[in-house]
Amino acid sequence: MEYEKIKDTLLAEVDSGLKFARSLDSAAEFEIYLLYRHRSSVDISQGKVKANDGIVAGTAVRVAKDQCVSFSSSSGISVDRIKLSVREAVSSLKAVSVKDERFQGFLDPKRQGREGAFATEILGISTEDLVSAAKQLAEDARSAGEKIMAQAECGVDWGGFAIGNSRGVQRASTSADNFCQVYAMARKGDERRGAYTYDVTRERVFNIEGLGEQATKEAVSLLGAKKLDVTAEMPTLWIPKAATSYILASLAQSASGRAVVEGVSPIAERLGDKIADSGFTVLDDGQNPASLGTQAVDHEGHPQGKTPIIQKGKLKSFLFDSYYSRVYETDSTGNCSRGGGPFGATLPFESSPGITPTSLEVVQGSKSQEELISSIDGKAVMIVDMPAGIFHSDVATGEFSAVATCVFLIEDGEKRGAIQPVSVSGSFYKGFEQLREVGSDIERTPWGVTIPSLVFDGFTIVG
Amino acid sequence: MIDKLQACVASSEKLGAQFVEARYDNLTLRTLNRTNDVWKDIILRSRAGVGITCYHDGVSGYSFTASTAKRDLDEAAKRAFKMAKAAAPAASLKLDFDQRPAIKSKASDTFRVKIHPRTKDLEYKTELVNRALEAARETGKEIQTVMTWYGELFGQKLFTNSDGATLDWEFLVIDLYCRVTSKTKSGDLVNGVERAGGCRGMELFSTKGSTPEDVGRATGANATEQLKAKACPAGEFRALVENRLAGVLAHESFGHLSEADFIVIGMSPITGKIGERLGTEHTTIIDEGKPDIAKYGGLWIPYDDQGTPASETVVLDKGILKQYLHSRGTAKHLKAEPSGNCRAVHYAFVPIPRMTNTYFRPGDLTEEEALENLGTGVYAIQTAGGQVEGDGSFLFKAIRGYWVEKGEIQHPLREVSLSGNILQFLNKVEGCTKDLLLTGGYFGGCGKDGQYPLPCGLGGPKMVVRDVRFGGKA
Repeated sequence: MEYEKIKDTLLAEVDSGLKFARSLDSAAEFEIYLLYRHRSSVDISQGKVKANDGIVAGTAVRVAKDQCVSFSSSSGISVDRIKLSVREAVSSLKAVSVKDERFQGFLDPKRQGREGAFATEILGISTEDLVSAAKQLAEDARSAGEKIMAQAECGVDWGGFAIGNSRGVQRASTSADNFCQVYAMARKGDERRGAYTYDVTRERVFNIEGLGEQATKEAVSLLGAKKLDVTAEMPTLWIPKAATSYILASLAQSASGRAVVEGVSPIAERLGDKIADSGFTVLDDGQNPASLGTQAVDHEGHPQGKTPIIQKGKLKSFLFDSYYSRVYETDSTGNCSRGGGPFGATLPFESSPGITPTSLEVVQGSKSQEELISSIDGKAVMIVDMPAGIFHSDVATGEFSAVATCVFLIEDGEKRGAIQPVSVSGSFYKGFEQLREVGSDIERTPWGVTIPSLVFDGFTIVG
Repeated sequence: MIDKLQACVASSEKLGAQFVEARYDNLTLRTLNRTNDVWKDIILRSRAGVGITCYHDGVSGYSFTASTAKRDLDEAAKRAFKMAKAAAPAASLKLDFDQRPAIKSKASDTFRVKIHPRTKDLEYKTELVNRALEAARETGKEIQTVMTWYGELFGQKLFTNSDGATLDWEFLVIDLYCRVTSKTKSGDLVNGVERAGGCRGMELFSTKGSTPEDVGRATGANATEQLKAKACPAGEFRALVENRLAGVLAHESFGHLSEADFIVIGMSPITGKIGERLGTEHTTIIDEGKPDIAKYGGLWIPYDDQGTPASETVVLDKGILKQYLHSRGTAKHLKAEPSGNCRAVHYAFVPIPRMTNTYFRPGDLTEEEALENLGTGVYAIQTAGGQVEGDGSFLFKAIRGYWVEKGEIQHPLREVSLSGNILQFLNKVEGCTKDLLLTGGYFGGCGKDGQYPLPCGLGGPKMVVRDVRFGGKA
């Protein structure tokens, strides 16, 4: 399917699917979601090449009647597959009567939002382009140091979705993005240290320039790590890549209307309270054209929006879809997703609607990374990559314990050498209260977060 | 459908592909979720699609489609060949493999159960959820939320290739999963989790210990115990690692490092270490596609997604590294035999070396003896997952635990995390109990290269380990 025809084609199929659905049960409410995406990628790891190219296409149907709701999905968007999903959903509904007393219907029609940026050149990227870029990227990393192993991947993803329901919603959205990333592993004796860099964008064709060299430089800088040999509470500086994981593992979970309504969010009852240092402001902006998560509508057809979550330390709002917003007696914030989030599902149509941020943005502070480092007295730890295990934290407890493998020691205001992996643990939410500084080194990371470095007090470090 | 796959193989060969694999998954996935009094999910997924791998000059190109129409299959075959051909000149590491005799599957390759989930209606399954949830909520007044899920995944897997293999078998996994969140007097939230499942029939839920009521009550009891649990102290302690957590260690920390795609490119820290001692004599790690499910649990995976029959691979034998987990290409490259480990999450992914059922072999200790050997330290129980980095650094979460002194349990601990480097960890294992438990379910699964969640079995005995680093409160 050509990119320009995706919206019209999918909307026409949604429309005919809804007509078929009504013919099965005119008293029920229906919602039909169709997805079509073309994905192509080339991965070169130490000369071993993997090349993939395929079409992700699928159908999701929800049926509701007398506050009973069922969901069915099927791979494929042919008429037969759409009808299969409709029949299965109707059949499930008839088979068992389990009411959801909170269900108040599918979304009512809303205005259309704004699509994200789109560079048409992305559609013209060929397999040969991807192979050539990945090869060069790996070579750049390898040639930037001694005994470097490199893995490079380049890819393109374009397509769209359409959503329609019995209440008159008929919306579609398309997007395209492309990416390149390189991982360099530096070795010295038995020691191995890795670092990666990336360029993920929808505004232009990805640019590999300098990425390989940078990854290698970072990996080499981690060699010769010394043991910290300390168990103590100390300040931690999380640079943007690491800080991204902190936000995704904490606020992205607990600010979800679902976690709030279901009673598993530790900040559920703290709306209006000061829950973070007053220097901390974070919002979710699903209408920033440059953000990877920006679409005209969310996955139930509501326009994506801009929602302040924490403003100057005060908890301002949660993120909602139509279902949870009605239960919470507020408006949807346009955060309905299917298999969404930073590490989204490969077959998103298989996921029932949920709530995820679209693009989290932390407002930058005034100090550069160097100034943040020089402002720290005594010992501190600088975390430069996503700590292992941070996403295994539990949303309800807010407690985390993770292993930071790419770490540097900060001592008396100066960045010292690399240290061996340390365990870092504490409470995400006590962490926000003990947030000491927000940096000015803001960065847009590939996981839908725009964020500067953050400095926290009070986490336990075991090294 | 097998004839359509064979046509794909033929048309790709005609284009110039040197070897072709075509597979078709036609799977049904059902998820039911009730949260307190609200039914959140009644979900049915029909996941059907074709994946085609073309090999050209030692390089693979992969394409997939959800359509079974001839035009779309031809297009996918063309794309797969085009990718392989375009990528081949860039490859300096070629993973060719030899043709083998054609394999045909047998009816016995599909694991037989007494009551297949497809024979039970939706109402029966929602009732399982209701029973577990009600049993859980009766366990305490402090309960804030009870979430209960039922999941099932089953269906046909077809495969053919240029060898002329014809495989037709069915995969099956079921799962009943319960989670209780309770609130302490100080307002903190704590959790309890339990589950029952694996490659089993619905008769499992009539078995003592695995009935919905048993699962619900055990979950509630775990949460209740957590109300008075203390934070785990931070530092290095002796540890007793429970079976389910031992399984995650075997899988995440060592199994991934032994996957031969990491080995052939030299990125695994155990590259080139076959024959070397990497652990104590108490550490034997096995990956096996067809375990004794009735006795130990786990998943039944008779073939991988490259058509290689399952085998029992002793990766680590009494501390000595013996074998890696292979695809056909990595096996040929490293002069080994394919081990039946080339798997894909679904048709949209190319098969890559993955685990099947990975576990530590049991030892000869009783649980009492293991506690006595532990002396003073942490008894870490259940798992909330874990992660390993390329250098062997790992972190694992135990959902709960106990502080033990002189072999006696003192008080419960909240979620504890264990971390370190696996190659050092294996050299600190002092003994294992004689009980082996394998688990594997619908919820969760293994992630690698963006392929998540792949159902895997994992397990082991209880293991006594010295000097384990625990994250906690300083």
